[in-house]
Amino acid sequence: MMLARVADSLYWIGRYIERAEHVSRLSAVMLNATLDSTQGAVQTGRIGLAALGEPDSGRANQTYEAAHDLALDRTDSGSVVVSLARARENARQVRDQISTETWERLNLLYLRTTGVGVETAFDDDPPGFLNEIIADLHLFKGAADTTLSHGEGWRFLLLGVHIERAQLIARLLEVCFSTGKTPAVSEPIALMSVLRMACALEPYLRVYTADINPRYILEFLLFDEDFPRSIRFCTARLQDLLSQLVRDAGASRSDALRLAGRLDARLKYADIEEVEATGAGALLAAVAAECASIHEAIYETFVAYPLELSLPA
Amino acid sequence: MSSNKVVAKDAILEDVLPLTQAAYLPGRAYDEMIAPGGAVRPHYELLQDRIASLGAEELGERQRTLERSFLLQGITFTVYGADSATERIIPTDLFPRIIPAQEWAKIEAGLTQRLMALNAFLADIYGDQKILMDGVVPRELVLGAPSYRRDMQHLYVPHGAYANVCGSDLIRNEAGEFVVLEDNLRVPSGVSYMLANRDASRRTFPGVFRQANVRPVERYPDLLLATLKSMADWRSDPQVVVLTPGVYNSAYYEHAYLARLMGAPLVEGRDLVMHDNRVFMRTTSGLRRVDVIYRRVDDDFIDPLTFRRDSSLGAAGLFNAYRAGNVVMCNAPGAGVADDKAVYAYVPDIIRYYLGEEAILSNVETFLCREPSQLSYVLANLENLVVKAVGASGGYGMLVGPHASAGEREAFAEALKADPENYIAQPVIQLSTAPCLVDGRIEPRHVDLRPFILSGEKVVVTPGALTRVALRRGSLVVNSSQGGGSKDTWVLTEEGKA
Repeated sequence: MMLARVADSLYWIGRYIERAEHVSRLSAVMLNATLDSTQGAVQTGRIGLAALGEPDSGRANQTYEAAHDLALDRTDSGSVVVSLARARENARQVRDQISTETWERLNLLYLRTTGVGVETAFDDDPPGFLNEIIADLHLFKGAADTTLSHGEGWRFLLLGVHIERAQLIARLLEVCFSTGKTPAVSEPIALMSVLRMACALEPYLRVYTADINPRYILEFLLFDEDFPRSIRFCTARLQDLLSQLVRDAGASRSDALRLAGRLDARLKYADIEEVEATGAGALLAAVAAECASIHEAIYETFVAYPLELSLPA
Repeated sequence: MSSNKVVAKDAILEDVLPLTQAAYLPGRAYDEMIAPGGAVRPHYELLQDRIASLGAEELGERQRTLERSFLLQGITFTVYGADSATERIIPTDLFPRIIPAQEWAKIEAGLTQRLMALNAFLADIYGDQKILMDGVVPRELVLGAPSYRRDMQHLYVPHGAYANVCGSDLIRNEAGEFVVLEDNLRVPSGVSYMLANRDASRRTFPGVFRQANVRPVERYPDLLLATLKSMADWRSDPQVVVLTPGVYNSAYYEHAYLARLMGAPLVEGRDLVMHDNRVFMRTTSGLRRVDVIYRRVDDDFIDPLTFRRDSSLGAAGLFNAYRAGNVVMCNAPGAGVADDKAVYAYVPDIIRYYLGEEAILSNVETFLCREPSQLSYVLANLENLVVKAVGASGGYGMLVGPHASAGEREAFAEALKADPENYIAQPVIQLSTAPCLVDGRIEPRHVDLRPFILSGEKVVVTPGALTRVALRRGSLVVNSSQGGGSKDTWVLTEEGKA
C-alpha cells in the first residue's frame, strides 16, 4: 500500500532517468562517430537525431552543437538536464519514500548538471562529460537496487524504466529499419553505432560474432530474452511487474496487465523471418502504441481510479 | 587540562584562538565560551583545545565538508531566478553550542511546566473559560485574538494536549539567565536542522563528542510518533500521516525528513479524500483510513470549508471530520492563541493559576500597550525598546528602537497611539554570544535557543535544541528569513565536560 501520488512520482523517476541515460548515450555515440569523417559518421548523426525526434537532419554535420543542446538546453523538454531536473523534482516529492543513498546519487547528478561550471565541463570533453552522466546514472540504479526495498515502490520505479526503454529502443529501431525495402542504415560503421546506442555492441558480438548485419541487429534488439535493452526483455519485465503490482493492490483485473501480457506474447511468439517479410515497421509501431496504452492503463488502475468504486460501504 | 586556565585578553589571539586577527572579544553580552576576565568556561575546554589544535586551514576544510554534505542531502532552500533555480544551503556553523547539565535541568523543568500550563490554559479557553471568569487574563484579549478559533469550543481533545509539538524560543540575557522570548504552539519548525546539525557536528568533532558525554537527540522521531499515536487512543494501531503544503514550502525538507524517520506517509491535501466525516488517503490499492494528521499546514489553510476559502493546501471537510472525532489533528487548531504576543505577558499568571507554582523560566519584561500607563511608558522610552505588532511574526510590523531613526520612531508612535491594543514592547536584550567560524576567523555571534517539547499522554523535552545564529556581526536577528544560520547544541550529562 502506498500513496497513489507517490507511486506516480516513482514511476516518473524511472522514466526520466532512463530517458536521460538514453539521450546521453546517443549523444556520446554521435560525438564519437564524428571523429571520423566517413559516410558512416554522417549516417550515425542522422540516426541519432532522428531517434531523438529531430527528423530534419540539417544538423547531422553539426553534432557538437546538437549534442550540447541535447545535454544542456533547459528549454528543450527532452534534454538530459531537463530529464534529470524532473527526476529529481519527483524524488524530492517522495523524499520520504526513497533511501538517502538513492536520493544523494540523484541530487549529486542534478547539482552537477545545473551547477555553474557545467558549460566548461562539457566543452572540455563532451563525450567524457556524457559518459560520466551515464556512469552516475548506473550508480543511481545500483544504489536503488541495493538500498531500496524491492516492494511496491521499487516496482513502480522499474515499471517506468522499462516502459520508457521499450519505447526508446522501438523508436531507434524504427528510424533504422522500418523504411521501405532498403534499410536506412547499411554502412557497417553506422550499424555498429546503432548497437552502441543501445549499449548492445559487446553482448551482440558474443551472440552473433563480428557478423554485423541489419537482420541480426533487429533480431537481437527485438527478441533477445536476456539482454536488458531488448524490447522482449522489457515487455517481459513489464508483465512481471504489473502482475505483482495488481496482486499487491488486491485488484482482480487490470487493463494494464492484460495489455502488457498481450504485447509480451506477441514478441515472444514472433520470429524474425515473419517480421522481415512484412517489414519491421508494423511491429515497431505496434510496440510504441501498446506502450502508450499500457501507460494510460497504469494511470487508471493505480493513480486516477474513480473514487466511487473504492469507497467503503 | 586544568579547569581554571586563565587567558589575559591580549593573549587570546596567540594562545586560545589562533585564528582571530582581532582577538575574540565578547562584548557586553554573556559569552557562552569565555567568562568575563577571559577564562574559558570549563564545559568548553575540550572543544576549545581541539579548535586550537586543528588550525585555520583544517577548520575551513571541515566547514566546507559540512556544507557539501548539507547540499548533497538536500538540506537547502531554492532561490528561483528568471530561467533557473539555485539551491542554497541553510548556513550552518561548525562549532557546537554547549550547555552543561545543571543549566539544562532548569530549562527542562521550566519548559515542561510552561507547556503543561499552556495546554491547561487552552483546554480552559476552549472549555469553561474559568480563567476569563476569574479575570486573570482579559477576556477580550483572548477571544479577540486572530488565532482564537471559535470552532474549537467544547471539542474533545485527548489528554487535553492541544499543543503536541512546541518550539519555544529562549535567550540568555546579559546576566547569563535563560528567559523565554516566545512560545510557538502552531507549527514550529527547525527540528530537522537540530538532527542534521547533530549528525554534522559528530562527524566534525568525533573525539570531542565522544569524551564530552553529550545527550542524544536521535530519538526525537520515535518520540514524536509515540506522541502522535497517543492522541488516537481509541485505535490499537492508528494510521499517522504528515500533512505538508508541498514541495515548494520552505520547510518541505523537514516534513519529508520527519515522515521518513517516522515511517509515516507524507501526504498533501490532494491525497486526502473525505467521506462520511472520515478521512482517507488515496493509495495504489484504494482508499485507506487516516487516524492522526501531524499537520504542517497553518490553521488558516487546513480546510477551505471552515477557514480560509481560497486555500488549496488543505482538504475540504477535514475540520468536520475532526469535529466528529474521526481524526486527530496535531497541533489542534486554535492552539496558537496561547502563543499570542499579548497572552505571552500573562504566562507567569497562567502558570500560577493552573499549577499553583511560580514560573521556573522567566519571561522577558513586556509592556502591554493596551494598558494606558504602560503605553505612556513605551511612548516615552521608544529609543530603548523593541515594539512588536501582536498579530505579526518573522520580524514584520516591528520597531527596534535603538536602530530606528527619529522619524521612524515618530511614525511608529502614531501607529501605536492609533491602535495600542495591537502592540507590545520589550527592552532590547543583548542575546548571549557563541564562537562561530566566519570567513576563516572565530568571532562571537549572537545566538538564541529553540528546544522542542512534545506533549501527548506525557510531556517530553528533547535534550538538545536548535541554536539559531545571527550571522552578521552585532546583529540580534536570528530568523532564517533575515539571514540567520544555525549550529548544533550539545546538552551534557552530569559528568560531562566538553
